[in-house]
Amino acid sequence: MEFEPKIIAFLCNWCSYAGADLAGISRIQYPPNIRVVRIPCTGRMNPLFIISALRHGADGVLTSG
Amino acid sequence: MQKLTEQIKDTAKKLLEEKKVDVVVGFAQGSLPLRGTPLFARTPEEADKLVWSRGCENNLANYLRKREDKAAVVAKGCDVRSIVALIKENQINRDNLYIIGVPCDGMIDRKKVEKLLDGKEVLEAIENGNSLELKGKGFTKTVDVKDVLHNSCLDCRYGNPVIYDELIGEPIPAKGDDDFADIKEFEAKSPAERRNHFVQEFSKCIRCYACRNACPMCYCEECFVDCSTPEWISKSATNVQDNILFQVVRVFHSAGRCADCGACERACPMSISLRVLTRKLVKDVKELFDAEAGVSMDDKPALATFTANDPEPFLVKE
Amino acid sequence: MVGAGIAGIQASLDLAESGYYVYLVEKQPAIGGTMPALDKTFPTNDCSMCILSPKLVECGRHLNIETITNAEVIDVQGEPGSFKVKINKKARYVDPEKCTGCGSCAEECPVKVDDSFNQGLNKRKAIYKLYAQAYPNAYAIDATKCLKIKKPKACGKCLEVCQANAIDHNMKDEIVEVEVGSVILCPGFEKFDASQLFYYGYGKLPNVVTSLEFERILSASGPFGGHLQRPSDGKEPKKIAWIQCVGSRNCRMDHGYCSSVCCMYAIKEAVIAKEHCSYPLDTAIFFMDMRTYGKDFEKYYERAKQEHGVRFIRSRIFEVTEADDGSGNLRLRYANEDGSISHEEFDLVVLSLGLEPASDMAELANKLGLELNKFNFCQPAELTGVGTNKPGIFVAGAFSGPKDIPETVMQASAAAADSAANLAEARGTLTKVKEYPAEKDVAGEIIRTGVFVCHCGINIGSVVNVPEVVEYAKTLPGVVYAAEKLYACSQDSAGQIKEAIAKHNLNRIVVASCSPRTHEPMFQETLKEAGLNPNLFEMANIRDQCSWVHMHEPEKATAKAKDLVKMAVYKASLLEPINPVKLDMNHDVLVIGGGIAGMTSAVNMSKQGYKVYLVEKAENLGGIANRIRFGMQGEDVQQFVSGLIAQVNSDEKIKVYTGVEITDVQGFVGNFETTLNNGEVIKHGVTIIATGAEEYKPNEYLYGQDERVMTLLELENVIAQGEKITDAKNIVFIQCVGSRDDERPYCSRICCTKSIKQALKIKEVNPDANIFILYRDIRTYGFFEEMYREARNKGVIFIRYNVDNKPVVTAGQGGLKVTVTDHVLGTPVEINADLVGLAAAIVAPGETNSKLSKFYKVPLNQEGFFLEAHMKLRPVDFGTDGVFMCGLAHGPKNIEENIAQAKAAVGRACTILAKETISVEGKCAFVDKRKCAGCGECESVCPAKAVRVDEKEKVAVVNEALCKGCGACASSCRCGAINVKGCTNQQLMAMINAL
Repeated sequence: MEFEPKIIAFLCNWCSYAGADLAGISRIQYPPNIRVVRIPCTGRMNPLFIISALRHGADGVLTSG
Repeated sequence: MQKLTEQIKDTAKKLLEEKKVDVVVGFAQGSLPLRGTPLFARTPEEADKLVWSRGCENNLANYLRKREDKAAVVAKGCDVRSIVALIKENQINRDNLYIIGVPCDGMIDRKKVEKLLDGKEVLEAIENGNSLELKGKGFTKTVDVKDVLHNSCLDCRYGNPVIYDELIGEPIPAKGDDDFADIKEFEAKSPAERRNHFVQEFSKCIRCYACRNACPMCYCEECFVDCSTPEWISKSATNVQDNILFQVVRVFHSAGRCADCGACERACPMSISLRVLTRKLVKDVKELFDAEAGVSMDDKPALATFTANDPEPFLVKE
Repeated sequence: MVGAGIAGIQASLDLAESGYYVYLVEKQPAIGGTMPALDKTFPTNDCSMCILSPKLVECGRHLNIETITNAEVIDVQGEPGSFKVKINKKARYVDPEKCTGCGSCAEECPVKVDDSFNQGLNKRKAIYKLYAQAYPNAYAIDATKCLKIKKPKACGKCLEVCQANAIDHNMKDEIVEVEVGSVILCPGFEKFDASQLFYYGYGKLPNVVTSLEFERILSASGPFGGHLQRPSDGKEPKKIAWIQCVGSRNCRMDHGYCSSVCCMYAIKEAVIAKEHCSYPLDTAIFFMDMRTYGKDFEKYYERAKQEHGVRFIRSRIFEVTEADDGSGNLRLRYANEDGSISHEEFDLVVLSLGLEPASDMAELANKLGLELNKFNFCQPAELTGVGTNKPGIFVAGAFSGPKDIPETVMQASAAAADSAANLAEARGTLTKVKEYPAEKDVAGEIIRTGVFVCHCGINIGSVVNVPEVVEYAKTLPGVVYAAEKLYACSQDSAGQIKEAIAKHNLNRIVVASCSPRTHEPMFQETLKEAGLNPNLFEMANIRDQCSWVHMHEPEKATAKAKDLVKMAVYKASLLEPINPVKLDMNHDVLVIGGGIAGMTSAVNMSKQGYKVYLVEKAENLGGIANRIRFGMQGEDVQQFVSGLIAQVNSDEKIKVYTGVEITDVQGFVGNFETTLNNGEVIKHGVTIIATGAEEYKPNEYLYGQDERVMTLLELENVIAQGEKITDAKNIVFIQCVGSRDDERPYCSRICCTKSIKQALKIKEVNPDANIFILYRDIRTYGFFEEMYREARNKGVIFIRYNVDNKPVVTAGQGGLKVTVTDHVLGTPVEINADLVGLAAAIVAPGETNSKLSKFYKVPLNQEGFFLEAHMKLRPVDFGTDGVFMCGLAHGPKNIEENIAQAKAAVGRACTILAKETISVEGKCAFVDKRKCAGCGECESVCPAKAVRVDEKEKVAVVNEALCKGCGACASSCRCGAINVKGCTNQQLMAMINAL
């Protein structure tokens, strides 16, 4: 079976999360192996979240804001 | 060294006699050769035990946080850098601290000595300027001091204390910029090689947290490794991934604050090469923000300030 | 509010937050105006939609803003305080209350029409939503295109798929009448029709596009998904040209004014286009004068030139023709500055369209007796910033004259302030407040989570296996109830959720449906109505971020939906009630600076009913305006200033301090304590900084050495006295003295217009005088362009000099000599000058500003002017709450603009003062004292200055009134001692651990 990375995304509520919504509204198709965590601001992004996500088995972490 | 010892004693006694300070934190001769041990002198008599030698490796900034009394400290370049960083972090009240600065061109790494002597035990060590006479059962050997200095001392560019109330001894000559050759070499390795290195190193870790306790900058009331809500990390040392996570976060927490004193690595009973990690961060902070920890009272902590011109190499541009 | 572009939205929000009920009337089916169609915004390059959408949402769901879309104001009768407004609500054919915006109807609709939002570059359906993020999030039917509306028996496919029963093809137009106290006109602008200028080939040549079309081409939500390509053949352009002043500065078209925004947007488009390309893109802007006069614009222009390599070609375009090789490329023929003719070929040509007043306003204006200027713009009444000739009717935004977004926003807040000033007595009388049942205490209760999974008609259900997700949810820890809903957001679902809360004693609610950005507040309402704290709620976005984006992978989408629900359930189990925080508030105002801006703020504040302390450092009020004689439009500035001073002095609610400075400031919004150097301590709730600016003292052009060389302010006085100019033969003005250079890389904005104004004044007294204006670019933006034309007609000579070859002033026998290289002839010209006027820069009062900057914790820019919270949408606010600014303290601008900004600061401040107490949502940072080491990391990273380390206790303390809940503190805290309510480390880790 082909490798399917598991990606956790931390998205700022005000821009990137809205962008992900827009992708939906525009019906832009993308692979379903991403799980989104909404945060109030990328300022909330404790580096420990990234490390912990990787430690818990994520293959990639996307932080966008 | 003898002369410095005398000067330190005199200064300490005077400070205590005049009641300018309640305690002088410095070094006494340890129970083994080449080993200085922290001393808390509260009377002029106790101050007589103070020494200065190439065994005074401990970072005494560790004993100065959140003190209520007035203290003086015998501080090398690296101790002072940590002190500066701690003052900025509200852990040391500058008004209550008297810094007896001592320029330092390096402390002796006993592991290097041991290696040179093929494991033979040193019973007496005599410091003679740049050479060191080592005596043991049936041998006497003279070595060049710079061959047995701690790597952190060889890399140190701030042997002269950056702030002090009184300076003992002569400033040491400036060295050229740190080229971080060791780190560059490590960076050049492939990800797999680096991963293997870390897995190998941190499988040794017994999670004794000596590195954390030796570090003057590690002073959280509750370390993230001990926290249970949330449980950031498992508490046992059996999983090397968690050991790596512990070190990565410990090092990350010291980014922009670490004076590269090497206390963590010296403290490690398992001889894990921790400075590969700490120095990588020191290098990054210097390159990205042109900042070094504890070298000036005016600099703001590199990771706690933001300017629009900050480099953002991690950003993926549209 | 007539028009719901950014001006209407801003003014509505300001008024609604200040205690007034607002009717927001928009002729389109959605609010937003032009801004949603823009890709990026200058000078910050922020995404336009990203910065606008929070305002759309806030405006859309505000309890005290009634948005009426698809509607036009057809009449206004009455007087200030009691107008009757007639509104024609056009049939939308879709009930926005019922429509969930799911879009199934548009998928079925067989009729394709040009997408007007995308400037006709692609097609949409006859049933449509104006744009993706539109509010109301509801569809509308284009009656002229719908088959069923034309023939009732035809089609009707949309009816079949709409499970919300929102569509009704029999809707009729409806006239409604509302009573209001004041009216704000902000209908925006229309774009110039470029096909009127045949020589640019627009409409005939497919690769000649308008600037708005180009915005859509660049936009990720545009017709090409953000891929830069030509409309004709989809080819990626290698060379793009922008042609400036299309429909602007053009007397033949009766468009004699400058559209003010095109230079900047063209530069922005060129820079952004380059960013879009992986290959080197050549961009060239063909212009007459580069008018980058706004705050930070000049730097943007320089960066475009230096860093991005955008070419700027000073020229006049003769024509655009298509290359004859069939490539579809375009050939530009143009004249250079020296008169020589050049040609160049481009792949794509963008026409920088000018702004025209909203065309349908002329009729309404006529009915209202509203005076428009000769271009049909509603230019504000003299020195009012936002007034019209009709009391109680105000104007804001581009309808008052071409302007950019920040100035539009400023005017909007100003119009809000001015209209509220008249209605202060009615404040709070018509606003609505909702009552809720008492909140249930859930402390110590076992977690009982209810999960509701939405089908969203077929939007989720056709991809995600909803029943399977429901069954899965039931297995998750803490979940005691799970159910599916056809539309979770419908009225009956809300009832069912409330019922389930009561029946199953639920204390945590998870809804898996669409985006929390649009629907979370609605579900939280349901919780409040059921007596639960609204923060015991969590959403899983399984539509926008799952079913819609994985339409062809139902199994994987279902798996993802399960994960998203699991994450939400895990987080929900750790949620705790959050209660709003209330703090006492002082309702007095401190205004710092007694110039025109400060006094205007003070007077307006007093009209709103608030007590004002006005502090001026000089011995007299008036500021720099004391030295100005001639208003840009001929106003008598001295009379105005003395009138204003008299008004301030006689106002009982304004306490004036002159010759006094500020020595210390403590506190925060609602609770400031400012100490003056006379020892007095002023307690106030908000602060308005209006410290003004100074005139640069030149050290060039013999200034200070020869008394015939003077600054414009000095010359102003000389002209007013008249003597020295009556017999002067030659008078020379030199522009950009101390502006647009390395030390001050900004344009001082008003000097070109001021110089021309003075030149015309001199011509009035001494028509034979030869006047020379030596300039770099003439920046007579907006209607000032008319003055530039008048000056040329009256014989004022304009000579452009190059910044590398500045004019030289020498004093010799017989007087002053000015040498300058003529831009047309290319040879040096010598002028014997009787007077030399230097257009000296406007500079910030460095010491005063840096002192106040520290006192009030508000930033300055590199030039020492105060730096606003956001250059586009928060032009008078600071990141620090309760502190506002206006006037020259913000940057160079003319009196009219200062007045508008002064009122804007009042408008914004009133949104705070209108409340009894300071109330914040409560999603604040909080400190675990036991863990805090007091290192101060949080204090240094907090952008809102809401955290500080208590000196005694040595722990961090959060000021909840200031905290914005961004969490920067929590993420930088090594000890884990500081956290954000509703988004704790533990909650986020629970989500991560769920995977």
